[in-house]
Amino acid sequence: MILGIETSCDETAAAVITPDGRILSNVVSSQADLHARYGGVVPEVASRRHLELVTPVVQEALRDSGTTLDDVDLVGVTAGPGLIGALLVGVAAAKAIAWARRLPLAAVDHLQGHVASLYLEPDPVEPPFLCLLASGGHTMLLDVQERNGKPRVLGATLDDAAGEAFDKGARLLGFGYPGGAELDHVARNGDPSAYAFPVARVPGLDFSFSGLKTALLYAVRKLTAEEGERRRADLAASYQRAIVRALVERTRQAAEQIGATRIAVVGGVAANSELRAALAEARAAPLALCTDNAAMIASAARFSNPIHYPGYLGLDAYASTA
Amino acid sequence: MLILAFDTATDVATSALVSDGEVLGERRSRAVTVLEDIDALLRQAGAHTRELEGIAVGIGPGSFTGVRIGLATARGLALALGVPVAGVSTLDALAAGALGALPVVDARRGEVFVLEDEPRVLAPAELRPSPGTLCVGSGAVRYRSVLEAAGAEIPADQDERHVPRARFHAQLARDFGPAEAVEPMYLRVPDADKTRK
Ligand SMILES: Nc1ncnc2c1ncn2[C@@H]1O[C@H](COP(=O)(O)OP(=O)(O)OP(=O)(O)O)[C@@H](O)[C@H]1O
Ligand SMILES: [Mg+2]
Repeated sequence: MILGIETSCDETAAAVITPDGRILSNVVSSQADLHARYGGVVPEVASRRHLELVTPVVQEALRDSGTTLDDVDLVGVTAGPGLIGALLVGVAAAKAIAWARRLPLAAVDHLQGHVASLYLEPDPVEPPFLCLLASGGHTMLLDVQERNGKPRVLGATLDDAAGEAFDKGARLLGFGYPGGAELDHVARNGDPSAYAFPVARVPGLDFSFSGLKTALLYAVRKLTAEEGERRRADLAASYQRAIVRALVERTRQAAEQIGATRIAVVGGVAANSELRAALAEARAAPLALCTDNAAMIASAARFSNPIHYPGYLGLDAYASTA
Repeated sequence: MLILAFDTATDVATSALVSDGEVLGERRSRAVTVLEDIDALLRQAGAHTRELEGIAVGIGPGSFTGVRIGLATARGLALALGVPVAGVSTLDALAAGALGALPVVDARRGEVFVLEDEPRVLAPAELRPSPGTLCVGSGAVRYRSVLEAAGAEIPADQDERHVPRARFHAQLARDFGPAEAVEPMYLRVPDADKTRK
């Protein structure tokens, strides 16, 4: 079995999968409520919570899967990118568990983890494919040729990530943090053509979302509080439409450019109902595996080159890929 | 009782393997590489992980990240080996290694962690050691001039009493129990103005 551990941002997660990619357990303890009152993730608050939760979550994942550590052959842990203090909690715990049992350890890249959410049973996606990764911290187009190794980056956001654009817009509309999912929900009752929110067209296959929230801000400012309340669903729907359009357009353009026959979507924003509908030709990650989880980390571990004892004893975490 | 002790709360991570009070080995490195030391300690002593009977871990105060690396390591080991854990204050361990001394740990941001009647965080200038008080620890080294002007005596920078030594954690460890019951000593609330998004 493969034990996966993820603590890169504000979800403490652990999962157990089989060597052939079946999920036996997938425990995610979200700290969203803890950070909501700050309107964003407070790194020190997140790190403290990860320490409280990391071993209980691992124990729960083992219990839920009906296995024990005796059945585990490989430990996979997110080593970066993410909040460094948060990552280090998961890495320290994973190293200790691996060392105590003389198990190999896979240092998983969080973004490859998101892509690997597509490789789990019952319906795994086979490379090659073009992958849109849209999450809270990243928005990228990836040329995925094989399950192991780093994919080529075809385009990325020049400013805000798509999830960040959802969250900032949601905040302007008065939703709690992180508001992406709630905005998605409210937008279903709104008119997506009520407002025209322009998305900047940048050259190549990159994205830019920072102008969008300014446009929303101006639109909201023009309204009285009562009007704003009444038109909230229209604003949400129009705003979402603009983000989704930009994502879909660039993704199709990239697919054409590299001649990709298959498209996939992963990351928190892949949970968005409009995006899933608009990119109907794409394979979207299963809903439960879009936002951060450890099953995807275990899945990536399965296709990585594990580090054998004692090579990982000094393993460090990294905040960014740069 | 075979005890593995370590403390990663300060810049110098310390670890020791202690058998019924006998120090089988003691090593120093950094928090991120403390497991390399632990591995070397067991190998040198010819001991197997199965033989460990308890873990004594430093709970700080010190660097928040350092404290957490130590506790996450202890909790991971406890989970995988089924051994009990005891927490030891980094200040207590420093005090045990320098009898009669006042431990002063660098807390960054111009402050220090000290053990007066209880662990506290304060500015070095607020610490009024009675004349002749021996001060040890990273804070004593960093704020040597302030503290010496106040009448404290501070050993040379290289003196081993300035760094926590895990043999003392093993010595002080009491009440071994579930790892999750051993909590970090932060002494500061998180900085909430820094959000990621
Ligand atoms: N239904 C949805 N519609 C739009 N956005 C959504 C939806 N569900 C989740 N999100 C957004 O997804 C993001 C979280 O995704 P994820 O957990 O993958 O990001 P992250 O781990 O914080 O960032 P990264 O993976 O880049 O480090 C948040 O911005 C959230 O608002
Ligand atoms: Mg993520």
